[in-house]
Order: sequence, then structure tokens, then C-alpha cells
Amino acid sequence: MYKYLKTADLAAREKTNGGILYMIPDVLIRVTTLVPLIFLWKVVMSSGVDVGMSIDQMLTYTFVHAILADMLVVKTAATGWLSDGILQKLFGRPMSVLGQLTAETVGRWIPMLLLFSLPTLILAPILGVSLIPRSVWFIPSLILCISLGFAIDCLFACLSIRLRSMNWLIDRIRAATVMLFSGTLIPIRLLPFGLAAAMRFQPFAALGGSPLQIFIGTADTAEILLLQVFWNAALWPLALLAFSKSRERMVSYGG
Amino acid sequence: MDKYRRIGISRVLGLLGISAKLDLVWLLRDTRYAIAGIIADVIANLSIVSSVFFIAVRFGGIGSMNSDEVLFMMAYSTMTTGIFMLFGAGNNIHISRIIGRGQLEHLFIQPLPLGTQLATSGFMPFTSGSNFVIGIALLVVAVARLGVEVSLPWILSLLLYQLVTMVTIVARAYLVSSMAFYSPVGAEEISHYAINGTWLLSTFPLSGMPAAIQYSLVTILPEGLMAWFPALCLLGRPPLGLGEYYPMLYAVILSIIAGIIFRKGMKHYVTKGSNRYVPYGFRR
Repeated sequence: MYKYLKTADLAAREKTNGGILYMIPDVLIRVTTLVPLIFLWKVVMSSGVDVGMSIDQMLTYTFVHAILADMLVVKTAATGWLSDGILQKLFGRPMSVLGQLTAETVGRWIPMLLLFSLPTLILAPILGVSLIPRSVWFIPSLILCISLGFAIDCLFACLSIRLRSMNWLIDRIRAATVMLFSGTLIPIRLLPFGLAAAMRFQPFAALGGSPLQIFIGTADTAEILLLQVFWNAALWPLALLAFSKSRERMVSYGG
Repeated sequence: MDKYRRIGISRVLGLLGISAKLDLVWLLRDTRYAIAGIIADVIANLSIVSSVFFIAVRFGGIGSMNSDEVLFMMAYSTMTTGIFMLFGAGNNIHISRIIGRGQLEHLFIQPLPLGTQLATSGFMPFTSGSNFVIGIALLVVAVARLGVEVSLPWILSLLLYQLVTMVTIVARAYLVSSMAFYSPVGAEEISHYAINGTWLLSTFPLSGMPAAIQYSLVTILPEGLMAWFPALCLLGRPPLGLGEYYPMLYAVILSIIAGIIFRKGMKHYVTKGSNRYVPYGFRR
């Protein structure tokens, strides 16, 4: 376990190698998106349309999403590392490749948690946002969400390997798909044209949107947890099998 | 000194033609990858604009804008994305990547002024024009639903606002990218933050938000000028009492500041050089 913790530690330090100054643009973008988004929700929710959520719940949903964004939709460096040639290097180390990817990813979360999430908590009372979860089942749901996030990321990495040199394109499609289908930016229950019912059971809905719904208490906790367990059970064996079959197909240019 | 000769419009069109030809050749020779790129561009943009539009539909509008007006704004935003991709597909607008990677020298040795190369090198009409076409289609639908009277002056206004929006995007990108002259590694991706990082924010209809947010997003940050402000101007309701010429004024001032700072950075760069390459040519 120590070697994975050390890997996470190194990944966290690597993120700030160039100095904390270079993380400021990312922090600024998160803050300057969060604040108008909070007010955007205040504007639309005050229109009086009944969407099964109160304005306070919506603000909490948005705020918690912002501070836990990296965990709610997991993205490892696997796809980028494939084209860089770094992914192959992981096979030369006496550690599990997926374990290294997980440790690296968790380590990379830490600087942003310290530089953005923690300081942003101060904004919550100023913006009138409550950060008390409605159910303790939020924690297991978050863990299942993170686990599923790694499985889905692994499948996308395998797709990149399969399609060769399309990493950047797959990354774009994946970011767009996850943004809309995971319910992190807009809760799935708010989607119009009957999309809410249609998208409730797809795997991306078991990502960030699920723990957020439990956090604010707008969902059937048992149903959400069951769906998360189901998708974990369904996609992890698939991800492991796909990754195992993809090893021999990896092609990198490096540099 | 021949490379500094005056470049005429026909030469610029010729250079754009060369870029277009290269793009067509890429599409024909690597069709599978090129089509995947087109699909990725379309999905990436539509996911952003549809998110905002879905909110508008669900709530019957956002602030003082009804859902058709929000659709019009999203159409404007999609057209802007389309124009950006049409002319900026070669990192020529993400200029911090070229500076940070030490690739500006590659442009110095070409027998063309730097500005001409940057203006023409990213033109990819065949593989990057999809969002522009979708933007026009959305605009037609929105205009029809809103009953906007489309006249020649209105179309010219639309073109002018699109031009001004692009000038603002490019000026801001070049302004922040000037940091890459001084810190090539640390600031290599800063234009990505300035352009892509703020894209979602630029699709927010600011109508109904507190004045402090609205004014901040049309002064300190120009995100309100990317779609919201010009869309309302085109609908005949310039917001905030700033007048319909405000985006032009902002673009001119920002361009002047960006020009001064970029030139200063360039002077530093040509004096000190780039540290990105080791002697055997590999990038650090």
C-alpha cells in the first residue's frame, strides 16, 4: 500500500512542480464559472416552475458538484499517456498498472482540493448554500461513483488504444457525453422532452449525478445505490477484460 | 527584406486557399480520422449549448429571455465556435502553444510576415466547418420562431458582431499568451484556459443576474460579450444601457492592450530565445 501512497504523493507534488502560480488559471476558471452558475440557477428556479427541487437544493447540488468535480467524473491520465508513451512505462514497474493509474489520479486531485475546494467552502454561507448532506448514504454513493468512474475511464482508454492516435478526439467526445449524461451540470430530472426518464438508467447517470441527488435528498437512495452497484458489477469485469486484451495493441510515438 | 514586402489581399486569399487544399487532402487521405474529428467538434459544442437550451426550455426561459431568444443566443455562440474552428485550427489562436513550444522560430524562417502566417495557417473549411453550418441552421430556426425581420443591414450587423466577437477572443488569447514568452513551460497551455476553459461561461444568458455579475462579465472578463450581449443587440435590446457599439469599443481597447503587451513579449523572446529544445532537438 505504501508504494501506491507514495505514487499519489509524487503525483500531487508533480502537479505543483512549476509553482502554484500556474494552477491559478484553473482555479480562477472554476470560481468564475461557479458564481455565475449559482446565480443562473437562482434566476431560473425563481421562475416558479415545479421541477421537484427547491432552489436551496439546486444551489447545494451545484456547489457540491463544483468542489468535488474531479471525483464525480473521474478522468485518469491513461488516454493522454498512451500518446505520450508514458502508459507503456507503467508496465515496467513492480506495481499493478491500474493501481498506479488510480494512485496517480487520486494524487492529482489533492492540489485542486487544497487550492480550490477548501477555500471555496468559505463562499457557501455567503452564497446561501447549505453543505449538510441529507443522508449518510452520500458517502457510499460517492465511493461507488468514483469506482465506476475508473471503470468507465478504463473503457475509454481501451477505445483509444483500439482506435490508435484518436486520443484527443475520444477525449472530446467523452467530455461532452459525460457532461450531458452524468447529470453533474444539469440534474437529469430537469431535462426536457422526456429525456429525464430515458436517461435515468444509463451508466453515466450512476456517476456524479447520483451522489449529488442523495446529498440533497431528491432521490430514492435505495434505487440509486442499486443502480450504482449494478453498473459497477457490469462494467468492471468488462473494463478489466478490455484492458487485458488491449495491452498488446498499444502504440505510442512518445516525445 | 523581401519577406517584409506588403502582402496584398490576393496573396492572403492564395494562402487561405493553400490551407484549404491541405485540409481537403487530409479529409480525402485520412477520411476516418477526419470524420471522427468533425463528429467530436459537433458533439463537444452541442453538449454545451444544448445544456443551456434545455434549462431554458424546462423553465420557459432564463431571466427576461424566452427559450427562443436563448436558442438564438446559442445559435450565435455555435456560429462563433464555428468561425473559431474554421480559422483557428492550427494553434494560431492558441498562440501560447506555438510560443511555449519554441515553434515561433519555425514561422520566422518563412518568407512571409508573421501576422499573415498566423492569420492564414489555421484555415480548415472542410474538416472544421461543421459547427459554423450548424450555427447557421440554428440561427435560421431561431430567427423564424422569433419572427425577426431579416434585412441586409441586420445581416451586416450579424457579420460585424461576429467579427467583433472573434477579435475579442483572439485579443484576449494573445494577451494572456504573452506570458509564454517569459515562461514557456508554465504558460504553454494558458490560451487553452482563456479560450476553452471559459467557453461554458460564455454560453450563460446573463439576463436576470445581479448587476455586479453582468458588469463583471462584460468588463473584467469578456464572457458576456461572446454571445449574450451581441445576441440581445441583434434582437434590438442592447443590455445594461451600454449601447450597441460597446462590444466594438471593448474589442478595440483589448486589441490595443494585447498588441502592446504581445510585442513587448516578442522583443523579450527574440532577445533571449526559447529554452524548450535540447541540443539534439528533443522538446523538454
